[in-house]
Amino acid sequence: MDINVKVKENLQIRPFYLFFIITSIQIGIGILGFPKIVYQEALQDSWISILFTFFYIVAVVIVMFMILNQYKNADIYGIQVDIFGKWIGKILGTIYILYFGITLFSILITYMEVVRISIFPSISNLALGGLLLCLVVYSVLGGIRVVVGVCTLFFLGTQWLFLLLIQPAMEVDFTHLQPMFVTPFPDLLEGAKVSSYTFMGFELLLVIYPFIKNKKKAKLPTFLAVSWSTITILLLTMLVIGYFSHNQILRREWALLGLFKIQNFTFIERFDYVVVTEWMLVIITNMILLMWAMTYGMKRLYNISQKTTLYLISIILLIACIFVDEHFQIQKVIDTSSQIGLWIVYVYPFFLLPIVLFKKRKQRKKEKKHAK
Amino acid sequence: MKRYRTTKKDNIFPLKIEELEKKLNEEFDQNPDLSVTTYENKNKKALIFYITYQVEGEKVENYLLETLLKKDFEWNNSTILNEIPLSSGKTIDKFSDIGKGLLIGNLYVYIENENSAIEYSLSNKENRSLQQSETESVVLGPKIGFTESMVTNLNIIRWTIRSEDLVLEKFIIGEREPREVRLIYIKSLANEADINTFRQRLQELEIDVIDDSSVLLQYIEDSSLTIFPQFFTTELPDRFSYDINRGRIGVIVENSPTAIVAPTTFFSFFQSTEDLYMRWNIGSFLRSLRFLSFFLSTILTPLYVAAVTFHYEIIPTPLLVNLGESRAAVPFPPILEALILELMIELLRESGARLPTKIGQTIGIVGGVVVGTAAVQAGITSNVLIIFVALSALASFTAPNYLMGTTARIIRFPMIILGGLLGLVGLVFGISFLIIHLLRLTSLGRPYLSPLYPLVWEDFNKAFFRLPPQFHNMRFKSYRPKDIFRFNKGKSKIKKDIDE
Repeated sequence: MDINVKVKENLQIRPFYLFFIITSIQIGIGILGFPKIVYQEALQDSWISILFTFFYIVAVVIVMFMILNQYKNADIYGIQVDIFGKWIGKILGTIYILYFGITLFSILITYMEVVRISIFPSISNLALGGLLLCLVVYSVLGGIRVVVGVCTLFFLGTQWLFLLLIQPAMEVDFTHLQPMFVTPFPDLLEGAKVSSYTFMGFELLLVIYPFIKNKKKAKLPTFLAVSWSTITILLLTMLVIGYFSHNQILRREWALLGLFKIQNFTFIERFDYVVVTEWMLVIITNMILLMWAMTYGMKRLYNISQKTTLYLISIILLIACIFVDEHFQIQKVIDTSSQIGLWIVYVYPFFLLPIVLFKKRKQRKKEKKHAK
Repeated sequence: MKRYRTTKKDNIFPLKIEELEKKLNEEFDQNPDLSVTTYENKNKKALIFYITYQVEGEKVENYLLETLLKKDFEWNNSTILNEIPLSSGKTIDKFSDIGKGLLIGNLYVYIENENSAIEYSLSNKENRSLQQSETESVVLGPKIGFTESMVTNLNIIRWTIRSEDLVLEKFIIGEREPREVRLIYIKSLANEADINTFRQRLQELEIDVIDDSSVLLQYIEDSSLTIFPQFFTTELPDRFSYDINRGRIGVIVENSPTAIVAPTTFFSFFQSTEDLYMRWNIGSFLRSLRFLSFFLSTILTPLYVAAVTFHYEIIPTPLLVNLGESRAAVPFPPILEALILELMIELLRESGARLPTKIGQTIGIVGGVVVGTAAVQAGITSNVLIIFVALSALASFTAPNYLMGTTARIIRFPMIILGGLLGLVGLVFGISFLIIHLLRLTSLGRPYLSPLYPLVWEDFNKAFFRLPPQFHNMRFKSYRPKDIFRFNKGKSKIKKDIDE
């Protein structure tokens, strides 16, 4: 397989779409339950944990860009094969694909649980999973352009939901955030670690990078995207902590959904119903991006056509989601995916970078010798 | 290209008059309307043949026969072309061309032993006069509509678009019944790649007969499986020239009053030339109203069905009490109730469209008022639903393009079913599916949802709103015209200080 990817002109995307891609994949189903998770660890100082995560992510993204810029037009699948050779490189690539698959599955079943608990107790996993996967398949069949288009439009189409939080925001009690700076440092770090799952997804940059048209301009939108999602998550968490009391937060699995119940108008109330269903758009962008990354990876590594992988994975996911419907099972899938993600997304790039740099330097020396 | 009818030996000239006469009668199966007459002068024989009602008889007598028989000159092809005061004369040497020419009202003169026949185009075509377009009505602006005649339409187009760069490429499409098709664009504006795509699609079309431009459109559009129209159709020369002047490409077809315009975007179906004729703020308001109507028209009834079937919690209590009261006597589940009513409205619309205008109005009153009131009193439907259904039907008629309005109405049915089966989840699924579907569509290879995706900020003020004229100094970037600037923005408005 080629290390560098040749992307046709009509498949390339303008760099600012990276903003929509990264934000859409970072903000997903996790955000609904996130405030509770981080609050358990870091209490009212959760915002410090989130900022820790943010700075760490910025570091990771810088490292990713450094790795990618060593090559002309390569993605992670190609780079790994270049560095570790054909066999190990392909195995590592497959691990990436599997990781994407588990994340996709965890998103799917978490959303189905949310729908089941808050709207439709009786809906079957098969029906809901079928609908969601149908949308995923339909948009991935359209190729990268449609995938990016769905991200862009669904991102723009879901931002209004946060306006519904204005009413609860007016009633926030700021004393809930006080006293500040009391959580011990290890707990803050623990909080940052649990936040990492919500923030995951930006590793997609490693896959989608060859498709960016003007690579020099890719950095700004990526950092903007990471900042945007951090600000969103930060504000939402502060809102939840400010609105609910200590016990209320710990009792609620999806504290954020509770906030949406506050807003009401004369013609419609109980916005949590609207939010849960509208959240489908957010979920779909996540799933589409991951699915695309998987199908594309299989094509890169094993030369299997994207359509075959797409149909195959969808059927496997559909069958799998029938069997996973208990809360503890779902939690287990989430935990597994966050564990793997922690290593792959947050640690692995720091290992990869020195090796890449070393190899490239060696190559350059060799070329210089040849030139002489 | 494959021919359905095998052409016989084509070059039959020169031959004797009697032979030609016999051949014509054979070919046209003793057609009683074919007039074949032999004239003789100075030992030269001439055969004049044409189909009687296709030709302007007055011209034949006054110019052709008068000159031919009364003037004294030697008959041969060149003298006849010179002496007869008709401008359209030319020589034809293929017999198959003569056959086709006779059908579109040409007259032929053949002098014995000449190598070719002379053709005069004297076609006498019955036309309706220019009228206001029935399907697209505008309050402000030119109201004249295209007619079925190609010549009239070309004439109107030339008068409305007086650009030297206007190109009217000619195509003949149809194996059995060849029809003239014109590809129209402004050479210095329209995108070269788009022109080539369009031209290629027309050239590669192999078909026996195109019934109408709306049929031609379905053969050459990007995706035939979708419900959304991908090419814009219009009967208004005004709208046609608006599009052509912005770098789009048009097609008109013989015998069809509908012109096609491409490439189009989803949003251009909601633009009307009227927006430009109105003041900008009114135009903007009306255009946003149309977008809102499309949205409401697809979503209102399904939302009602979803809310009443599954999520009555989202309706506030005072409203819910009202709703409950009006639904108390209704024996059907909401989905059935909604489907029945929607179907009724569609029935009314369809019968109204088929009936003559005067009766149509009566039917509208009888159907709308009488049946509607009776349905509520009989306890078949609720009052609230009637309001929703009527509103969404009204909303669907606001689209300036008839095809898009119909699309809006048809989409509602699957949406109602989704809402009735899965509530809000089904509804959001439906909307997502529609958006993804629209994202996948293209028109002439250009993205259908532009300028929303791919995001083209520069086009937003033109596609969604209608800002004051100085913001319209650029053409739509989404269509990639060769020349994007319309006028200089700086000079169109000189800034002044307060007291100057």
